[in-house]
Amino acid sequence: MVGLVVVSHSRPLARAAVALAAEMTKGRPLAVEIAAGLDDLDEQTYGTDALAITEAITAADSGDGVVVLMDLGSAVLSAETALELLDDEVREKVVLCPAPLVEGLIAATVAAASGAGRDEVAAEAMAGLAGKESQLGPAPSSASPSLPQEHDGLSATVTVSHPHGLHARPAARLVAEARSFDGALVQLRNATTGSGWVPATSLSRVATLGALQGHDVEIRASGVRAREALGRVAALVVADEASLSTGAVGPTAASPGVAVGPAVHLRETPINLPDHPSLGPEPERQRLTQALDETRRAIAQIRSAEPGIFDAHLLLLDDLVPAADSLIAQGLPAPRAWQTATTDLAADFDSLTDPYQRARAADVRAVGDQVLRALIGAPAPAVTTDAPTGDDAPPAAAGGGVLIAADLTPARAALLDPSRVAGVLLAAGSPTSHAAILIRTRGLPAVVGAGPDVLDIPAGTEIALDGTAGEFAVAPPPPVLASFRERASHEAALRTAARSHASEPAVTVDGVTVAVGANIGDVGDARAAAANGADLAGLVRTEFLFQDRATAPGVDEQVAVYRRIAEALGGRRVTLRTLDAGSDKPVPYLPAPAEANPFLGVRGLRLSLLHPDVFADQLLAVVRVAREAPVSLMFPMVTTVDELRRARLLLDEAVARDGAGRPPDLRVGMMVEVPAAALRAADFVPYADFLSVGTNDLTQYTLAAERGNAALASLASGLDPAVERLVGEVCRAAGDRVPVAVCGELAADERAVPRLLAAGVRQLSVAPALVPLVKQTVRCVEVPR
Amino acid sequence: MDTAALTAWIREFARLIAQEKQRLTELDSAIGDGDHGVNMDRGLTAVVSALEAEPPDSPSALLKKVGMTLISKVGGASGPLYGTAFLRMAAAAGDSVELGKVLRAGLDGVTARGKAEPGDKTMVDALTPAVAVLEGGGSIEDAARAADEGRDATIPMVARKGRASYLGERSAGHLDPGATSAALLLRAAATTLGDGA
Repeated sequence: MVGLVVVSHSRPLARAAVALAAEMTKGRPLAVEIAAGLDDLDEQTYGTDALAITEAITAADSGDGVVVLMDLGSAVLSAETALELLDDEVREKVVLCPAPLVEGLIAATVAAASGAGRDEVAAEAMAGLAGKESQLGPAPSSASPSLPQEHDGLSATVTVSHPHGLHARPAARLVAEARSFDGALVQLRNATTGSGWVPATSLSRVATLGALQGHDVEIRASGVRAREALGRVAALVVADEASLSTGAVGPTAASPGVAVGPAVHLRETPINLPDHPSLGPEPERQRLTQALDETRRAIAQIRSAEPGIFDAHLLLLDDLVPAADSLIAQGLPAPRAWQTATTDLAADFDSLTDPYQRARAADVRAVGDQVLRALIGAPAPAVTTDAPTGDDAPPAAAGGGVLIAADLTPARAALLDPSRVAGVLLAAGSPTSHAAILIRTRGLPAVVGAGPDVLDIPAGTEIALDGTAGEFAVAPPPPVLASFRERASHEAALRTAARSHASEPAVTVDGVTVAVGANIGDVGDARAAAANGADLAGLVRTEFLFQDRATAPGVDEQVAVYRRIAEALGGRRVTLRTLDAGSDKPVPYLPAPAEANPFLGVRGLRLSLLHPDVFADQLLAVVRVAREAPVSLMFPMVTTVDELRRARLLLDEAVARDGAGRPPDLRVGMMVEVPAAALRAADFVPYADFLSVGTNDLTQYTLAAERGNAALASLASGLDPAVERLVGEVCRAAGDRVPVAVCGELAADERAVPRLLAAGVRQLSVAPALVPLVKQTVRCVEVPR
Repeated sequence: MDTAALTAWIREFARLIAQEKQRLTELDSAIGDGDHGVNMDRGLTAVVSALEAEPPDSPSALLKKVGMTLISKVGGASGPLYGTAFLRMAAAAGDSVELGKVLRAGLDGVTARGKAEPGDKTMVDALTPAVAVLEGGGSIEDAARAADEGRDATIPMVARKGRASYLGERSAGHLDPGATSAALLLRAAATTLGDGA
């Protein structure tokens, strides 16, 4: 390890500086020596002693050399004198570093503790001022070496996708890569914050970019191998290979279908905050309110694509307003106040230990960005044909391109225009991410986890991708292209057939009828379900009625909405699931305690049983609607028989409260999504009219793999044999007594459907748009007897 | 010029510094950190003690002992500067010392260490004309006078080195304390080594 020597006029100053720097390494061993003050005098006499410095250097050197940091004046002269007094072989390994003492020492300490060489430690110390400079701007007469502003090399702008931004390991990986191109000068700047250029070869300078997830980082490179260096660094800004490969899955199918088209890239105009002073708290607050209203309207328009995700975004907006308001009151203009509030909240989430909570930082940034763009009138992200490396590639066709991006925020995914985008190829991401769910509901083929190299594909290059098989090809030779086109035409034929038979029942080759229903998040979905030929609503997520409001909906309001859903479905059975909230999907008036792991916390039926008043109103509303239409009532997140019995007792109370007896056609069932419930399915059967397997949660609980975690995509996607066995267990327990349904993502997976039907599942429920395809899939299945 | 003569020179320099300690400190207080007199006195007191404790047996050993003691005991910038000067003088000294030659080596050491040039308002402004006089065959007394003139010439100068440079234009109008102590070094030489000593 490189040793450090602190030379100062003042011994207390040197000691305090060392103590401050040691805070950064928390107990890791360090070799720091002090040569400060005059040896035989009291602590208060200032001075430096060249002999003491030689002794300190000797003591600090363990063979890897020493970096000397000093304050000023005689400290510098004494250090130089000391160097002259050392033996040649020691002197060669000593670097006198002109960095500012405190800042330099902190940076040097971190670098030395992490095993950096002495030149690197000295370079890090020199860059120690960068943090202050980026905060305060360079001093008017700053003599610090500035990088050339004129630039005639290559450049590119990419969006950071690392969840925690360009820090720590991702930054270190990038710096190592940049350094491997010793013939090229590579520089970065944060275009989102408008930072200055920093060399890509300095870890501490790169860290000062404060490049957070979603920020645009501009990269420029000149010199030999500039193009190669630019490409590598750009790929690592987006996502380093290590973080992508932890799932060890490579390209993964995320949305079925085949697409062939020219590569197009998602490009965002960087947000440059205007430098206008505040117009006063009231006008600034009004500006913010207008931007918030605009954003809320925009979210409302895309909300139905995935209500759970976008309702959470709306809640986050409410969380951010008080902080932004108070900053505006302190005299900040609205854009600056909003940016600060979102950055702070995102940082709060980042600092949490729970990965799920940390992941919400991305939501904060996504929605914060949306408001900021509205505030300053910056254009929304657009699909462009600009190549990332400035290639003079041929422009893509006006429609039907294959969109290439690092990852997509939910809002961007929901806004993809199928008339302009034929398919999506993501460098990162997982098939269970919010973006993937939204891409599926748009009906766009997609492959995710394709690796950072895809970001280097020049715009206009022909891309073929198969979102069913999880394959893609760049500039495929004719035979490969022909194979993709064949799959595409097969898919097209399937879709056509599926659409023309959508309203017919789904019957397998051997004559087993399978009910194919729709999962519904609001009244609009119910209409879509009917239009797509759904046999029933297999799952109505009633959360949309409860979220984004201050108080629980009353009985009458719920009855009205459930009635509209039933009407939209025109007499088809409606499966109303009671409120499935929890600290992962919070509802303000049903406070759930802060939980280290919301997915294992008070959610679903557990939460409803904790709030019997709200639960009773929902049960009463269901009972009333069940008198008018065929209704099934379904409880989520049931773990024990006792929970189900307690819920049924409350239902009995609701029936009594209604006073008209039990509706004859009301069926009562439960979700099977906890492995304990699947294993004990036989114990539940006496209390249930049906069982519906929620494969999303059952998979994540069985495999202990959070479904939003891209690194675990290989565990969370597809029908795992362990989950398949649990489904089989449920079907065996149900026998002929109660039907078993599947209402998770797997119900739409054409490879899983035959196995689910073989296990005994007789009802599937999927996104409304997928009903025709799933029915067509069922028609091709032969169920083994 | 032998070890005894050099010892006398250094002792006289120490005496002058002790005598002028207050004044040097006042000069330094005006444009620096106010420690030049105290620092130099501390260093030279240590030098005198070291020479008495263990008298060196050659001019070179003596000059080296002076240099090593100064770099360790002065504390301020004058420690490494005077210390380097004496160490270079030790390296340049043979059995017998030619003052012009060793002072040139010392001046080069100061210039290399402090990276100061004539006109920067430093001790170099006193030493440079003195060394030039000695190299031109002038007497030590002439050299001491040239050092005094060089010292006085620092008054209108704007400091470009050391703590005084922080004052910029405001450093003009003051005598440079380093040049003042350097002139004392030559004055001590004239007193102890002059007239063919």
